[in-house]
Amino acid sequence: MSACVGVFAVSSSREKRTGAEALQREGELNRFFAEVERRALRIAEIGVRDRDEALDLVQDAMIKLARRYADRPADEWPPLFYRILQNGVRDWHRRQNVRNRVMVWFGRTSADDGGYDPVAAAPDPIGRTPDEELANEQAMDKLELAVAELPTRQREAFMLRTFEGLDVAGTATAMGVSQGSVKTHYSRAVHSLREKLGEHWQ
Amino acid sequence: MTEANDERFEQQAKALFDDSVDRLDAATLSKLNQGRQAALAELSTSRSRAEWVRWAPATGLAAAALVAVVMLRGPAPVDTPTINGAAAATDFEILIGEDSLEMIEELEFYSWLDVADAEVLDNVG
Repeated sequence: MSACVGVFAVSSSREKRTGAEALQREGELNRFFAEVERRALRIAEIGVRDRDEALDLVQDAMIKLARRYADRPADEWPPLFYRILQNGVRDWHRRQNVRNRVMVWFGRTSADDGGYDPVAAAPDPIGRTPDEELANEQAMDKLELAVAELPTRQREAFMLRTFEGLDVAGTATAMGVSQGSVKTHYSRAVHSLREKLGEHWQ
Repeated sequence: MTEANDERFEQQAKALFDDSVDRLDAATLSKLNQGRQAALAELSTSRSRAEWVRWAPATGLAAAALVAVVMLRGPAPVDTPTINGAAAATDFEILIGEDSLEMIEELEFYSWLDVADAEVLDNVG
């Protein structure tokens, strides 16, 4: 009888510990998502030029990370999360290409659906003078357009390094390429953007 | 000089990006929050699924052990009907007897005879 009680006590404490660990993990993941979600949304939005689509992609990435990698160390989450997100963006572009080909075949273009409107999608301004807001919005619009026109790998390297602040190793994991490749893509992206935007940008 | 310019450009780009992040509207932030909650709910679901998967091998082993025990012990004894030796011999004699075919041919007569005997017995009683 006492042995049974002992076994129950050990089992019960293990369950309690497991439950506490799970709750702690959930809290950590919640904090990670809360910290990263807004930047991730803007990065996805620049990638696909559509906020609603970007919201879906970010949510999918969060769900996949929670489902597959929640047990991994927290410092591995940022590159894993952005890898999932970038894969989502690439898949989205593949689907769009197929869709556009079909539309062209039927004699329509995607412009018929109402293309991306930077003014309509611009975020609400807060806490700045109207002139500053306008200048920043215009500069950001130019930057967004220029970034969106970069080749995929250069765009990913630039956004992950500059906007998200991942280091070279993290960016390499997120992109699924070598660190040398990240450095090359990033360098080309910066030079290309500076060339497009000109010296008087900003 | 070029490196310094690159660095300045990166800082400007980062500042503009951070500014655009800070200016996200409330509706968008609400949608992000909903997405985050959906992801965390998925975490709970996958955890309970993992619990089930953790117990599945033990359950499978227990089921396999039960099947093995049943198979080793063999089927449970079944009460089979026993044949009374004497009765069987009598039936056999009737079957091979010469009168048996005659009885089958005149089955209606024997049936009437049986009923008639019963009526006589009732009247006597």
